[in-house]
Amino acid sequence: MTTTLETPVAETPATPPPRTRRTGQQVGRFLAYVVLVFFAIVYLYPFLIQIVTSFKTDTDATNTPLSLLPDPVTTAAFSRLFDTDFLLWGFNSVWVSVLVTVGRVFLCSLAGYALARLRFRGRSAIFTAVLAVMAVPGVVLLIPKFLVLNQLGIYDTPVALFLPLVADAAGIFIMKQFFESVPASIEEAARIDGAGTFRVFWSVVLPMARPALITLTILSFQASWNELPHFIVASQDRDLYTLTKGVATLTTGQLGSGNQFPLTLGAALLMTIPVAVVFFVFQRYFVGGANEGAVKG
Amino acid sequence: MTAVPAPAGGLRTRPRREPGRSSARAGQGRAGWAFTAPQVVLIGLFVLVPILMAFWVSLTDWRGRGSPFTGQVGFVGFDNYATILTEPGLARQDFMTALRNNAWYVLLVVPLQTAIALGLALVLNSRIRAKGFFRTAFYFPTVTSSVAISLVFIFLFTGGGAVNGLLGLVGIDGPNWFSDSRGLVHLLGDGLGLWDAANPPAALTDGGPLGLSWWDWLSGPSIALAALILLVVWTSAGGYMLMFLAALQDVPNDVREAAVMDGANAWQRFRAVTLPALRPTLFLVTTLGLIGTWQVFDQVYLISQGNPAKTTLTPAYLSYTSAFETGQWGRAAAMSFVLFAIIIVLTSLQRFLMRDKDAAAEKKAVRAAQRARAASSKTTFFQAGR
Amino acid sequence: MRSPIRRSAQAAVAVAALSLAAACGGGFDDTAEQQESGSASLTMLIASSGDAETQAVQDQVAAYEQESGNTVDVQVAADLSQELAQGFAGGNPPDVFYLDASRLADQADAGNLFPYVDQVDDVDDFYPNLIDAFTYQDTQYCLPKDFSTLALEINDAAWSAAGLTEADYPTTWEQLATVAQRLTTGTQTGLVIGDTRDRVGAFMVEAGGWFLNGDGTEATVDSSENLEALQYLQTNLAAGSFRYPSGVDAGWGGEAFGTGKAAMTIEGNWLVGAMEADYPDVGYTVVPLPEGPGGPGTLSFTNCLAVAADSDAQDAAVDLATYLTGADAMTALTQDTGVLPSRQSLADAYLQQFPERQAYIDGAEYAQGPVNAPGAEQVLLDFDSQLGGLATGDPQAILDSTQTNLEQAIGG
Repeated sequence: MTTTLETPVAETPATPPPRTRRTGQQVGRFLAYVVLVFFAIVYLYPFLIQIVTSFKTDTDATNTPLSLLPDPVTTAAFSRLFDTDFLLWGFNSVWVSVLVTVGRVFLCSLAGYALARLRFRGRSAIFTAVLAVMAVPGVVLLIPKFLVLNQLGIYDTPVALFLPLVADAAGIFIMKQFFESVPASIEEAARIDGAGTFRVFWSVVLPMARPALITLTILSFQASWNELPHFIVASQDRDLYTLTKGVATLTTGQLGSGNQFPLTLGAALLMTIPVAVVFFVFQRYFVGGANEGAVKG
Repeated sequence: MTAVPAPAGGLRTRPRREPGRSSARAGQGRAGWAFTAPQVVLIGLFVLVPILMAFWVSLTDWRGRGSPFTGQVGFVGFDNYATILTEPGLARQDFMTALRNNAWYVLLVVPLQTAIALGLALVLNSRIRAKGFFRTAFYFPTVTSSVAISLVFIFLFTGGGAVNGLLGLVGIDGPNWFSDSRGLVHLLGDGLGLWDAANPPAALTDGGPLGLSWWDWLSGPSIALAALILLVVWTSAGGYMLMFLAALQDVPNDVREAAVMDGANAWQRFRAVTLPALRPTLFLVTTLGLIGTWQVFDQVYLISQGNPAKTTLTPAYLSYTSAFETGQWGRAAAMSFVLFAIIIVLTSLQRFLMRDKDAAAEKKAVRAAQRARAASSKTTFFQAGR
Repeated sequence: MRSPIRRSAQAAVAVAALSLAAACGGGFDDTAEQQESGSASLTMLIASSGDAETQAVQDQVAAYEQESGNTVDVQVAADLSQELAQGFAGGNPPDVFYLDASRLADQADAGNLFPYVDQVDDVDDFYPNLIDAFTYQDTQYCLPKDFSTLALEINDAAWSAAGLTEADYPTTWEQLATVAQRLTTGTQTGLVIGDTRDRVGAFMVEAGGWFLNGDGTEATVDSSENLEALQYLQTNLAAGSFRYPSGVDAGWGGEAFGTGKAAMTIEGNWLVGAMEADYPDVGYTVVPLPEGPGGPGTLSFTNCLAVAADSDAQDAAVDLATYLTGADAMTALTQDTGVLPSRQSLADAYLQQFPERQAYIDGAEYAQGPVNAPGAEQVLLDFDSQLGGLATGDPQAILDSTQTNLEQAIGG
């Protein structure tokens, strides 16, 4: 690490700092690396432990929790995991997340576009309502959601798993902000050509909105994949368990007594993979704000 | 979200090109409603209507059998609210214990995660290598599910687990984290010789407001709750770090460089240039932190279920168990509304405090906010994801 | 209020149930089984300790399906009380479900249960105090499917290492305290007991006290008997010869016992299976709990097969519940699961098979069931949370606050 310290300082393009500060800056930079490396260990070590432990035996995991070498290496935890309903949970998580994501992205961009561009009576009232709904803490909705699902007669049905999650005020807000930030001239030209509002939206506006759509897709997928409380109150049928709800039951020792750390950590590992893949592929959309700032600066 | 100032009626400022085409405008009116209708219906059905239903339930003695919207259900007015707020008894004691726990939790999580997020962002914003790697490492837990992370932390924090193994390496005999109910403030005072935790001063145990003694209110978070606090700070700091990072990169370089030329040292530059520019983000981060921490549910549900000795009980979890485990639906609904009120009051209070301090710099901040508009709209993406 | 689909589905079930009821004639009787030709579809919600138990239940249910022509969907709950609550509130509860005796009063009070015990002939065969555990306000609601009691488990190696013999097995509190002290060494605690009412309560019973009076109408927590029990525990906890599991870094008494951190523990018959699975090499002996000033005492834990008041196929549900609590099914269900048959007539055969469980069965005579009053659960959870601090706390204060809370809960 120390060898790399010189270069960036020497290459500093604009306004080289006065010489007197240089050693101070070097010390500062060294400290910065110490801090970063320390936190990187704090952040990565749990994930490492998680991966390694899922290949351990139960006793090995309990007796040598710090060891990063499974002895012996075993995939027994994973075979036992697939004896449970793990695949069914995964399947449920997939279709729920896909439906929620598609629903949110389509309906939020429709509504966001209308609020940003279309002139109609009640528009500002709707927008105020959207802002107010965004301020409602999700957890206080647990009991209310159960009540309404029950009244609608869709409690414990597949519909109850995904439909309430499609309602998303924050997504509307994001899309509205985005549409306001792009110039209106292109779509107005299309409109003058006589295209209907939905045509304009579908074939002119949406293609331009790709970055925002991708961001919303990622956020919706991640949020619905990781959702837990909603699934707890929306269903009880074991056939409707999603990954979060199903894996949560593993901690309550349904599969017998004892600490089954390799099993639970293996389950945690597998359920993290889809989100991790999405995260690494679309990382720049996650950290888009930071990147954009860097380009500007 | 209250934190994000949104210009209402932005369209009015934009002159219409063809004001005479009223049929087009009528078409827009229809389209506007058609476009917004699906989400309006969904939000109405799954947010607004449920809230009204739950409010009704909070005024009844419904025990969870059949529908609460029939004549057979007894209307009890605000009795449920009285039970948890004013009437001495176990129900109030439990609710107050949950509030106490959550207050300590908020008091520790919000400053800790904000400080760590800001610190990491400042360090990452300097000229260093492997920026992307560090940023990814810190941010990744934020996108991971609470279930997966909780399972990992249960393993790390068991009595003979990795954390105690590490502590053992430096000669510390770690506690049995998730089953240790001793309060940190109690222990601290004991360690400093202020009191004997096993034999607390009568002045503190004899009385206190709202059904808990002063001694109980002042216990501090239990060791079990402290482990949850570590978990949550670890998970969420990275997301807030990104917000700070985005804001930092919008701090105009020329201002900073001018300050460098003026001979300001690092701390002075931070105080005079960076901090004011970060104020809106700081506000956003603490607001989101407050809202999020008062809602803690997943980790309690997954890890501790309120144990040990009720020291990880939170209002959200207590409300859930009161309804779904013990069938006290009215009381449980009342708890959610009290929690709702607490969150609204606290965020408004915080908004008021931070605005008051800022009155002079307000205009400047507004201008800065407008300049950073694209960036700040990006920033809101993150809150949508939580 | 409900969707048309759901409603029509329920209507179909209701019609099926009605036709079944009609086919059976008025009400349920012993000959109904042979007459049934129609089929009802039932759901049954159970809690299970593992695959073996689930399989045992499913085998018996399959036999029932064969015999009755009804179909039964067995669901294993991850969190039984939560799933029950959602079922009741959703208007679609399971027809038959396991119900812990400690939750009976809550469910009965809410009107969720259909009492069926009066339709059964041989109620006398069940241990009377187990039937009492499922009786609320003079109504007998459901039949216990099995039970467990607490006894004292002693590690043989530790026992002889301390120079003790069979003649020294404690039968009084004084003897228990003495041997616990003798067994306590640097790495081994004399007696490790769980820090909840489900263990500590046994001492209250032995002292002659309990949370409620005999008919469950009055809170008697702050009695001098209960105080004596807590003081006895406090003395020994303070001396270090008794400890809670968390004090020896164990999850429960059985873990402390199996790992040798405890020379004795007080657990129920489920310990036998856990020891076989996790610590097969530890030799131990089970003896009845020592008598206190109030005589012998232990606690019983039991689940019944409850039938939902809202069940669409109530007769068939009762039929299933009585089938599964019948002698044949009970014999099969208590084979591998470590629980004890709740029918007295099955005790001898059971003991021939599992002689080492004598002490647990013997406890049935004088075992005290769980507190049986609506709303008591929260009070007792609070009591549990205070027990953690018993070693240094004020026993009278613990009892006083619990007394106040329990009075409030049952007084309404």
